[in-house]
Amino acid sequence: MDSKINTLIQEIAKASVGAVSKPSYKGDAVWIETSPEDLKGACVSSVNAGGKFDSAFILPYQGRSEFKALYLFRMQGMGKVLILWTHAKSFIAVSPSIPGALWDERKMHELTGAVFEGLEDERPIMIHSENLKFMKDRGSLNNAQKEMYSRPYVISGTGEEGEFQVLVGPVHAGIIEPGHFRFHVIGEKVNKLEVRMSYMHKGIEELAEGKDVESIFPLIEQISGDESVANSVAYAQAVEYLADMDVPSRDESIRLILLELERIYSDLADIGGIALDVGYYSASSKYHIIREDMMRLNEKLTGSRFLKGMISIGGVSTDLSEEKLSEISNGVKLFIQELREVEDITMSSSTFIDRVFTTGMVFPKTAANLSLVGPVARAVGVSCDVRKYFPYGAYKANRVNEALAKNGDVMSRFMVKVDEIKESARLIEREIARMPKQSTRRKASNTIPSNESGIGLCEAARGSCTFFVQTGKDGKIARLAVRTASFRNWRAIEKAVLGNTIIADFPVVNKSMNLSYSGTDL
Amino acid sequence: MKRFFPLLRHPKTDKIYSGSESPVIREIAALLKKRSMSPLARSISVRMIDCGSSNDVEVEEVMTTSPQVDCDRFGIHYVASPRHADVLLASGPVTINMKLALERTYDAMPDPKVVVAAGDGAVSGGLFGKSKVVYKSGKVSDVVPVAVNVPGNPPTPYELVLGILKAGEALSKKR
Repeated sequence: MDSKINTLIQEIAKASVGAVSKPSYKGDAVWIETSPEDLKGACVSSVNAGGKFDSAFILPYQGRSEFKALYLFRMQGMGKVLILWTHAKSFIAVSPSIPGALWDERKMHELTGAVFEGLEDERPIMIHSENLKFMKDRGSLNNAQKEMYSRPYVISGTGEEGEFQVLVGPVHAGIIEPGHFRFHVIGEKVNKLEVRMSYMHKGIEELAEGKDVESIFPLIEQISGDESVANSVAYAQAVEYLADMDVPSRDESIRLILLELERIYSDLADIGGIALDVGYYSASSKYHIIREDMMRLNEKLTGSRFLKGMISIGGVSTDLSEEKLSEISNGVKLFIQELREVEDITMSSSTFIDRVFTTGMVFPKTAANLSLVGPVARAVGVSCDVRKYFPYGAYKANRVNEALAKNGDVMSRFMVKVDEIKESARLIEREIARMPKQSTRRKASNTIPSNESGIGLCEAARGSCTFFVQTGKDGKIARLAVRTASFRNWRAIEKAVLGNTIIADFPVVNKSMNLSYSGTDL
Repeated sequence: MKRFFPLLRHPKTDKIYSGSESPVIREIAALLKKRSMSPLARSISVRMIDCGSSNDVEVEEVMTTSPQVDCDRFGIHYVASPRHADVLLASGPVTINMKLALERTYDAMPDPKVVVAAGDGAVSGGLFGKSKVVYKSGKVSDVVPVAVNVPGNPPTPYELVLGILKAGEALSKKR
């Protein structure tokens, strides 16, 4: 395994014009500094070597004059996360070669005003220019940002004759978060869809700056309510990585149980929502019965229907007693039996299958181009489960059977999610039988080192999320950067409605991916 | 049905009665009794708008339509357009990008109309009061008048139901 990564590093060094730093290994991550000119080439060679583009972050470097840009790649075959970084005043955009990085680079460009040479789309992605007048503290914007916000946001169609626009959102017909969809259609056929997000942008990353690492869990839980455990675990892992902290094994087991419980109740909403959106109310009600029971079980176990407040740095904040564990085990067993029956009813309905089969196709090429993650990618057969390739915590002792499908339509996503629920139930069962009995005591917490950076990866119900934490001089957070699965997958929906999907199928396509708006906008 | 699918339970709709352990359910029971006594008590059409919450308030609102809670039996139903709505249920904090959308949604509603602020963010701005990209302090009442506050992180489905029923009371006073 190590030889493969060494070959890649040598390749990167050989192709570079400027100096390339020696790789520094820490945990599962390899950090390499390149010169700004060589960064793009290094990124492309990492993707060619089988890496998957994960995320890109930017932060101020030594005062305000320069910026540090980091590009993360999941090298799945090698079991390493490769972090290529550089510092400069302006950068060369990677997105022309790696299209998945487009939104990341737009965000980096907007955050700092730094130039990304060759960036195809320079429109701001977080603050809408027409709403800038409501923003507090506008004086902190630099000239490049002011110029960026002064331009109007233009959404253009394909230019085909007879094309007209259908505007959907930000306020939708259902009980759902806000986002704007601009359809360019001829009749029922969709020519182009453009998504405009960021109605939910509330400054989570910025609010975390200057705070204590222990104190921002309530903020992390606001990223996305039904992913609060996964996001908290990813954040805690980033801090544990930078502080070299160990987590007691019982705490790791409890984390696994909470993560899988969250996956079950999140995925139940998706499959229930798919049934609802094709008009199959009876099956949808059954899924909702199981889900409501599941959330009541959550409340009984942890006091929160969303399992909030359970994760802390270095472990979990509350232990689960043996009675609670047996309650989980019994509850999950019952829910899975019920799920199997509802699944039988759903899959034996010809109207259901007719609506979801070949609807909202995502193709393998799109999945590779846009670096999709989670069930959306797995429904096309792209294996990308972080639990499997970069096992963390209790997953090191549990092999995860990844649910895969081939077609990439709504049906495949439905099947993948059902299979994932079953797999989660199996993992919970196994972990409860396996976990150490003695309750854990928190070790004296390590001091948080200053000027250190850490990354944390975790597989949430919607796909993998990545957290980057940089501490300042005083050990407080200097920069928190978040890339959720929804941020990566939103662009898949722009492609999924093309082809033989009509505009009326959009709700079910949207529901089958069930992306979080809040998790994208932060 | 039971013969073919023996494990499927009949939907267990929760009982709402004045002797319940939960204070929220007791309060709902009292309000419903009052409503059922009044002649021509109308049902309540609710339009929801998310102005910047994490999606948990929406999840809980969807769960009010679950067979266990079943908000339709209280005369509450969710409508697709603000033009059909009596009650606007807003979750927050109100971001700068949603400020205009919230104003326009409120303006589109016919009179009489009532706003319910759901969740800590909508009631007080919550954690986001100091955020640059949140409008003023993030309260919904900074943008539109609020009649009922439902705090919680997020409020439970029954707390939301109670909030909507209280809004119905406020509505009948306006009529």
